[in-house]
Formats: sequence, C-alpha cells, structure tokens
Amino acid sequence: MTTLKARIKRNALPSAEKIEEEQLRLVWKTPIGWRYWTSVNNTQVGLWYGGAAFAFMLFGGVLALLVRTQLAVPRNNFLSADFYNQAFTLHGTVMMFLFAVPIFEAVAIFLLPPMLGARELPFPRLGAFGFWSFLIGGVFVCGSIFFDAAPSSGWFMYPPLATDKAYSGIGADIWLLGLSFIEVASIAAAVELIVGIMKCRAPGMRINLMPLFAWYLLIVAGMILFAFPPLIAGDILFEMQRMFDWPFFDPTRGGDPLLWQHLFWIFGHPEVYIIFLPAIALMAMIVPTFSQRPIVGYSWIVLAAVGTGFLSFGLWVHHMFATGLPQISLAFFSAASEAVAIPTGVQIFVFIATMLAGRVIFSVPMLFGAGGLAIFVIGGLTGVMVALVPFDWQAHDTYFIVAHLHYVLIGGMLFPLVAGVYYYYPLINARILSPRLGRTAFWLMFAGFNVAFFPMHLSGLRGMPRRVFTYPEGIGWDWLNLISTIGAYVFAAGVLVVVFDVVRPKHREPRSEQNPWKAGTLEWLNEPEENWGVRSIPIIESRYPLWDQADLMQKVNEGAYYLRSAKENRRETLITSVLDAHPLQCQRVATSTTITIISAALLGGVFVALTFELWILALLSGIGTLSAILWWLWTGTGETPEKKTKDVGLGLRLPLYASGPDSVGWWAMFITMVGDGTAFASLIFGHFFYWTIHPDFTLGQPGPGMRWPMIALSLFVAAWVAMLGARRLNASGWIDGARVALVAAFLLTLAASAAGFAGPWQHDMQPTAHVYPAIVWILVIWALAHAAVGSVMQLYCLARSLAGRLTREHDMELHNVALYWHFMAITAVITFAVIGLFPEAM
Amino acid sequence: MRIIPKEVETLWTLFTAPVIWAGHFLACYALAAIWCAKRGDLGFAVVQAGIVAMTLAALAMIVLSGWLAWRQWGFGTNDPPHDDPSATDRNLFQGFATLLLCGLSFVAVLYVALPLLFIDGCSS
Amino acid sequence: MAIAGGFIWLTVIGLLVHATRHERTPIDERIASRLIFWGGAAIPSLLLFLLLGYALWLMPGLRPFARAGEANGLRIEVTGEQFWWRVAYHPADGGVPILSANEIRLPVGERVEFLLKSTDVIHSFWIPALGGKMDMIPGRVNRLSLLATKPGTYRGPCAEYCGTSHALMTFTAVAMQPAAFGEWLAVRANPSPGASLPGRDIFLRNGCGACHRVAGTQAEGGVGPDLSHMGSRGTIGAGVLPTDDEAVRSFIAHPHLIKPGSKMPDFNMLPQQDIAEIASWLKGLE
Repeated sequence: MTTLKARIKRNALPSAEKIEEEQLRLVWKTPIGWRYWTSVNNTQVGLWYGGAAFAFMLFGGVLALLVRTQLAVPRNNFLSADFYNQAFTLHGTVMMFLFAVPIFEAVAIFLLPPMLGARELPFPRLGAFGFWSFLIGGVFVCGSIFFDAAPSSGWFMYPPLATDKAYSGIGADIWLLGLSFIEVASIAAAVELIVGIMKCRAPGMRINLMPLFAWYLLIVAGMILFAFPPLIAGDILFEMQRMFDWPFFDPTRGGDPLLWQHLFWIFGHPEVYIIFLPAIALMAMIVPTFSQRPIVGYSWIVLAAVGTGFLSFGLWVHHMFATGLPQISLAFFSAASEAVAIPTGVQIFVFIATMLAGRVIFSVPMLFGAGGLAIFVIGGLTGVMVALVPFDWQAHDTYFIVAHLHYVLIGGMLFPLVAGVYYYYPLINARILSPRLGRTAFWLMFAGFNVAFFPMHLSGLRGMPRRVFTYPEGIGWDWLNLISTIGAYVFAAGVLVVVFDVVRPKHREPRSEQNPWKAGTLEWLNEPEENWGVRSIPIIESRYPLWDQADLMQKVNEGAYYLRSAKENRRETLITSVLDAHPLQCQRVATSTTITIISAALLGGVFVALTFELWILALLSGIGTLSAILWWLWTGTGETPEKKTKDVGLGLRLPLYASGPDSVGWWAMFITMVGDGTAFASLIFGHFFYWTIHPDFTLGQPGPGMRWPMIALSLFVAAWVAMLGARRLNASGWIDGARVALVAAFLLTLAASAAGFAGPWQHDMQPTAHVYPAIVWILVIWALAHAAVGSVMQLYCLARSLAGRLTREHDMELHNVALYWHFMAITAVITFAVIGLFPEAM
Repeated sequence: MRIIPKEVETLWTLFTAPVIWAGHFLACYALAAIWCAKRGDLGFAVVQAGIVAMTLAALAMIVLSGWLAWRQWGFGTNDPPHDDPSATDRNLFQGFATLLLCGLSFVAVLYVALPLLFIDGCSS
Repeated sequence: MAIAGGFIWLTVIGLLVHATRHERTPIDERIASRLIFWGGAAIPSLLLFLLLGYALWLMPGLRPFARAGEANGLRIEVTGEQFWWRVAYHPADGGVPILSANEIRLPVGERVEFLLKSTDVIHSFWIPALGGKMDMIPGRVNRLSLLATKPGTYRGPCAEYCGTSHALMTFTAVAMQPAAFGEWLAVRANPSPGASLPGRDIFLRNGCGACHRVAGTQAEGGVGPDLSHMGSRGTIGAGVLPTDDEAVRSFIAHPHLIKPGSKMPDFNMLPQQDIAEIASWLKGLE
C-alpha cells in the first residue's frame, strides 16, 4: 500500500524531480537482451549466483537419491561400485563447494547492499567475475560424471588414494583444479563482502546498529580468508604430486599422507561454520520480525559469531582422532571441540529469549526456522558426543557421523535457508510464496528428513561404515537402510514442493506490499522493479530503522536523503567510516561489462587445460587471463574524477577520489594479501611438519646453500625499499624520481628472483627425489610467482605514471602496490630465511 | 592503566581475547606435538610445565583485557542493548561484547588446559 | 549420554514451542537476558567441562600400551591392502612369524598388541565389538591394543574409504580360549600342504603361487592373500562370500564380478573341471 501511495505521490512531483529520478533509474538500468548477462549489479549477480547454487543442490540431491536407492536393500546392484563411489564423492563435493558456501555468497551479495543502505557493493565486477568463475568451475566438476570421469576418492581426497595415478583417474584432477578455481571465487567474494560491510554502510549505521546478518557475514568472510588458503596450498602440493611426481604425500620418499589431512581439515572444519553461521544470520533477521520486537542479546550474538569464528579453527584434528596421533594432541582438539558448543548454544538461546520476550507470529519462515532448530539441536548434541575422543573412536567413519553431519547441515543450514527463501522472496518478485505449499513442503521435509537420517545413528552404532556401496544381509542393517531410503524420497518430495512454489508463474497474483512482514530492517526499502537499491541513501539511527524512524520509507522513496540523483551519469554509493559510519567519500562503482566473463572464461581455460595436461593451451590461456585482467584494471579502475568533490545532498560535499587506507581498493588488497599470507603460512607449516616427522628431514639431500638465499633475501628487501621510495617520491611531487625508483625496484626484483632460483638450481636439488628438495622448490616457486606479480605491478604503475593516469594526487595504484610489497617482503624474507638457514645452518 | 584510552577507536580490541586463546591453543599443540615427535616419552614434565606456564600467562592476559573491556563498558553501570545512535553507546557495546568474548576465551583456555590433568605422555 | 541428550533436546524444544504460543504474556527483557546467560552460556559451559573431563579421564585407560621393554606378549601385525588384510602373528619369543590373511584369531582375556600398517592407501582397522578404530597409513606404523573378554566371532570392516571395493573389505576376528588359541597357533606354525589332490598341481601349474602363498608348497607368492589353511576360514575374498565350493569356484573364475578393482585376473579361461579341483583342494586346507 505504501508503495502505491508513494507512486501516486511521485507522479505528482514537479518535473525536475521526475527527471532526476528517471536519470537515476537510467544509470542503474539492467541491460536487456543478451547484454543482460553482462550486468554486474549485485541484484542480478546475487540471483544468478543463488539460482546456480540451487541448481547444483538439486543435482547433488539426485546423486544422494541414487546413493540411497543403491543402499535400500543389501547386495543391491542398482549401481556399480565405481559409479557409486563417483556419486557419493560428487554428492559431498557439490553440496559443500557448489551449494552450501556459494549460496551464502549469493544471499550476501543480493541482500547486503540493501540491508546496509548501500547502492552496490564496492567491487561489482569482482563479484560478477567470482560468479562466472564459480559457474564454469561447477559445471566442469559436475559434468564429469556424465563422462564416467567424476572424482571417486571421496570429497576429502585423501592421498595416496587420490594422488597416486594407479588408484585414481582424471577425476581427481578435475576435482582439484575445478575446485581450486571455485576457491578463488570464494575468496573474491570474501574480499568484496568484508570491504562492503566495513566501508559501505549507510551514514549513521554504527557497528552497534549494524544488522546482525552483516555481523555474521563479516565474521564468515574473515573465516573464508583463513580457511580456504590452506586448502589452496594443499591443492598446490597435491597437483604437483599428481602432475610432476613431487613426493609430498609419498612416504617412500619422505612425504606423508597426513599432511594433506591437516591442510584439508584446517579448511574443512571452519568450512562447516562458514556454512552454518550465515544460515543462523538469516534466522537472526527472521526471528525479530516475527517476534515483533528487537533481538534480545545483540551483543551475545556478536560474541557467538566471533567466538565460533575463532574456536572453529581449533577443531580440525577431530577428523583425525583415529590416525594415531599422540593422545595429548587429540585431547587439545577434543577440548576446543567441546568449547565451540558454548557459542552455538548461546545463539539458540538468543532466539528463544527473543521469542519469549515478544509476541510470535508463526509464519512459514518461522516454521522452517523452528523445525531446523529442532533438527540442529540433535546434531549439536551428537556433535558434543563425537567430539569426545573415546566415543569418536567407535563412531568415526560410520553412519553415526553421516547422521550427525546431516542433522547439523540440514537443520542448521538448509531449513533456515528455506526459511530465508520464504521470507525474502518478496524482495525478488514482489510476491509472497504460498503458505499452504510452504507448510506442505515443511512437513514433508521435516518428516522425511527424520525418517531418513535418524535410523543412521543406529546403523552407525551397529558398525556400518561410511562410503560402502553394498552390505551383507542379516547383520542388523537391512531394515534401517530401507527406512532411510524411504525417508530420503519423502524429503526429496518436500524439496520439490519448495522448488515448484518458487518457480511457478505468479504474474497473476497481486503485488505484495513493500514490507509485507512489517520487518524493521533496511532491506525492505528495496523494490524489485528498481535496480538502484534505494531511492536515496538514508541516515540511520536505529537497529530497526523501519520500526523506529518515523516516515523513513516515505522519505527515502521521495529522495529526501543522500545521492538522490546521478547528474554525472555514474553509478555511485557512499563510503563511510568503519566504526561510526561517518560519510567519507562518494565512490563510483563499475557498470555492465563483458570483461568479467572473458576473464573468468580465460582463467577457467587455464584450469581445464591443466586438468588435461595441455600445457600450450594452459600457457596461452594464462597469458590471455593476464592481459584481460590488465585491460580490466587499466580501463576500469583508478579513474581520475572530473572534479575533486561532489555535493551528495543534504548540504554534504564528499571527495570523489581516495587513495591509501582511505580507499576501498587498499582494503581489498590488504584483505586479499592476508588470505595469500595464510596460504604461504600453510606451506611453511608443511616445511616444518616434514621436519618433525623425520629424524633428519633432508635425508642427506643437498640444500640450497646459504649464499644464494641470503642474496635473494637482501635483494628483495632492497626492491621493497625502492618500491616504498617510489611512493614517497611520487607523493612529494618528484615524479621523475618516482619513475626511476620504480625501474630500480623492477630490476632489483628480477635480480632477486634470479638469485632465489639460483640456490636450489645450483645445488641440483631434484624435487622428485625426496620431499626436502620438493618443499624447498615449492617455497621458492611461491616466492618467485609473487615476485613476478609484483614486478608486473611495478611496470603497471610505471605505465600509469607515463600515461598521466597516476599523478601526485591520484596515486592509489602506488599505495596498493606498496602494500602488496609489504607482504611480498615478508614472504621473501621468511622463504629465504627458512630455506637458507633451516636446516641448512643447523 | 590510562595508557589505553577508555574510548577505543578501533574494531581490533574485540578480537584480543580470542586471539590470546588461539595463540595459547596453537602453542600448546605445537609444544606437545613437536616434543612427542622429537623426544618420545622422555621428560614429559617439560611439556607439562610449558603448558601450565602458557595457560597462566594466557589467563592473565585475558583477565587484563577483560578488565579493560569492563572499564570500557563502564563497569556495568549501563545495561544493554546499547542501541542509541551515539558514539557513547557504540563504545559501551564494544566494551560489553569484548567482555563477553573475554569470558568465553577464559573458559576455552581452561578447556584446552584440562587434558594436562589426565594425560601424561605421548602414547597414541 | 543419549538420555541426557534427549533431556536437553526436550527442554530446548519445549521452550521453543512454548515461545511460539501467541497468547502467552511476553516476558521481561531482563529475564530474557538472564535466560541467555544461564541457559545458553553458564550451564552448558559447566556441563561440557564435566563431560570433557570424564572423557579425558577415560582416554589413557582405553588405549594402554606396553611400555618399551614390557612388550613380551603376542603381537599381531595387520597390513591393509586393496582390498584385503595381510596378517602376521609375531610370537612372543621372536620366532618365525606365522602368516595368514583376512582372519584374525586372538586369545580371550589377554591384551593383544596390533601393529597396523598399509602398503598402498589408507585403511582403517576396526573390530566394533572389541574397541575403537585405528587407521593404517602408508609410511606409519600405528599401534593398538585390544582385549577380548568373551569368546566369539566378530566382524571387522575397513573403516576408511580405500577405493572401489572398500565396502567389500572385512575380516573375521575370532576370540578363543587361550589354550585353544595356543593350540591353533602351534598347528599353524607347522606347514600343511593339504591333501595331495589334483587341485594342488593345477594350482601350481597355472602360476597361482606367483601371487598366493600356501605354506608347505612351492607357492610362495606375496602379492595376494596367504591361502594356507584357507578352508578353516569362514569366508573368502576378505569377508565377501562364505567358504563353500561354489563361492570359491566363482571367485577363481570372476574375481572382478565379486570384487571390483581387485588385482586378481579372471581365471575363467581354465576348464570348469580344473577350477573345481582347485576349489576343492583350497577348501580342504584346514
């Protein structure tokens, strides 16, 4: 109703204001025809991302039904052993990598800007690039099963089963390279979300007023930054072993299969919480709305999110309780695994307390939320059990775990997600999903789920191991499995009802109100017909502005706040300060482009070519990717605005350009490099891991000597100093000096790289001979690859300077590259100190 | 204690206590794992002494940061929800959330130190 | 633990259902905050602390090990292979190990130490009825000690996914009275070439001995399972089929149909009669 009134009112506006509105609409307009796919706006990218993730989920669900059908009766031969193994491997992989994580990147990209009162996230093209990478990688991985070439070593890919070509085929490469590609997309999304949440909130939205969804997503994005890089490091070691026979996991040449397990689970356990927290974040938005009151214990939720984020990194060995590690080590991880239950319990009680303190409207989203909670609590309780080492020695790798993890993930993630779909659907289509279908779907899913998974606790306790394609009759597993299979089909029927409800045509139904649930948060200002996010960016004074700030919706829709127009025909959003959200800058954001698709396709080409060991094609795609990204950066970033400041409305003038820590680009670089540093730290961990497991870890193999590594270290430090000098000189206005310093930095980088290479090369270190030369080479290659990127950056800055696009005032590229070089210097110093001194100097 | 101002103008203080927990956890794990890998069962008392010392240090640091957070929160004179649009309430919120995290981290450090009472060797 | 878990679940869900009742009076915010503190934080912290302490207290007792120098009992070395178990009994006196496969016998009432290894991929050794599992990891030797308290036959599946026929990798653990076990072991120490049946010559002639060992004959192969005394084992193919004539015959003819991914080639090019002779000779090895 509000909308209708506002529309009538808007039509009556004087024509100048109407023109203003039309112009803003035009600037944010979604392209039509095939160009629709070139859109980079968060609304479209979020929807595509979500749609693709849902499609992958359905695909993973079909695989699960195949698996369940095979297990319905003992000695079934519905599937062959090999196909079954492909199916369960792909089921786990798809659900974890192609559904659970991306769906929340999707929800976050779609919801965060309107929730924070921003027009757009700071790097829309990066978001679109991430989506296209995800889509290409996902289709590649899923498609493999149609060629009977899917990975079949389990989603955890333990070596030697997965690394040795005698035991596993090309499926392992497809898994590794396809998913590495997707991990890149996840990290891109994490960077985008962190910067968006910290810097793009509406003015006045201090951190104590931030929607809880944003708090959760901030923590989750931070976790992605520390969890995914160890897996990427593991992937590198893994693929080097598969492609070039470097013996990282081969015990006959000093390697150890357990290193992979460490790296995989350092990623794998936080991953569970990366999936779970955003779902709880949706609940934290839904519960207050239907309890008709603000959340009770806002700070407790922050405690829970941050606490879980940290503690979840201390759990990884609980996947390795049966590997024979010392009991004292297991005990530490058991302790942390118990401790993580505390913040989880807090979150549940926050919801219950909020509901108790309010008046609950029991709608479909609440039904799914409450049902999910009931399931999740069971999963949490069994989680407390399996975190106890003695219990886990029995339950580990049995169907008890299968039951536990599905209770956690489906109760803790899928049900809240469906609640979120029912809750937020009006933001997509301005229609409400059918409550009747919703209730039907809920009861089918809830009943089906419990029928399917509860018996698995029992079959697990009766000794049924996981990942078996068949089992003999008469040992007490028969009817339990049959019940599970029946339940799985009922559950699938419920999911289908949800899918039907979402996709059925609704254009004949009446349009819903702008805020149909009477929610209090800002995203309900959004109108699906408009692509601009909000008509004007409001000033926020409450956690629930739509409840507490009178006439906010009307005033926003009338354009009474910031950025009501787009006079320069540019897409703009506000950058605000981290703690108090003071407006700092008017940021211009990118528009539709094909470069994101081209870059993603070329990068995909690199990974696909590597999978099939087509080296030339991989090299060409690599060059293509680099060129595309350089073109993207050159034409799309670091633009010098036509004026220094701009009137953003309400008498406020804001700068249009920022560099250094004031700019979002600097933050993105910082965050990316933190993730990069984590991957590097994982490789260093590998080096010392090998040292601990061997009495003499070099096994008499030659090292790189001390001389060359020390020379490389010194030269890298010198290159870093030159880089800092270039920034300083440029800032002082001596442009020629800055250019000379850049050239010097570039030459020093080349010399340093050559010296770094010379150490292992001159001492004839053979990476296939033993793990010691192999890990030294990997560290050197890591440093040199970063140096190569660093030198491209130096040349880029030089070119920008010569082209007049990098000046004394407009120097964000130099700031960002100098920041990169801080991390580069740390990487180089640690790399060459470690390989040159340890164990060389001992 | 005036060195650290009451009004904290950064988000990082929120993470102090969990970072201490993480450091303590990693140090305990690394000490025990390296000792077990390199020294076998000899002289496990070194590991025990190390863990006790690290635990006490970690608890002390958490208590200190908890006290600072308590001060930032005004020693409990203000109750949540701290949802006014003012720098004061933002500060109180930070103080309270930090205090809660100190509590959680304190408990978690105790959990991690608990194995010491029951396990006195490297056997697997 | 299940009962306590059920109680906690009922409490939480009861509160949740109560909270959804529309007609009840909303509680005060201060009380709600206290509920979060006590219900969400304080009580769980305490309960988990106690539970953790109990579990940690249990740990050393569940997996005790003979310290160096005390290891004087029988040690059984089990090596995981795709997809079967290589078994070697190392007598206490350090004598010649007794080899076997896919069946483990152990004395009741005596702690037996297992040395767990793998030569190819990771497997996991588990006798659910006797104790927790322990992985078998290439390049590492894991130790596990188990104590059977009553005689019986137990099933032992491989618990770590190890490839195509992971589901078909089980062994039988037979707990025997110590006297009977000693007798059994003594018999195994003396080679028994089995009855001089035609099957033995066919077996040897067709090169089966290149992969399989049968104690007391020229068959000394170490690639596949040791078949000495095969007839005394309850199952063949690492727990896939019962040891009867038909099963043995079909395994020789089509191992891949029965056990996908196994290294043994099909022998169905042999005349049916020869296969039957081999089968009845093997079955007679007791």
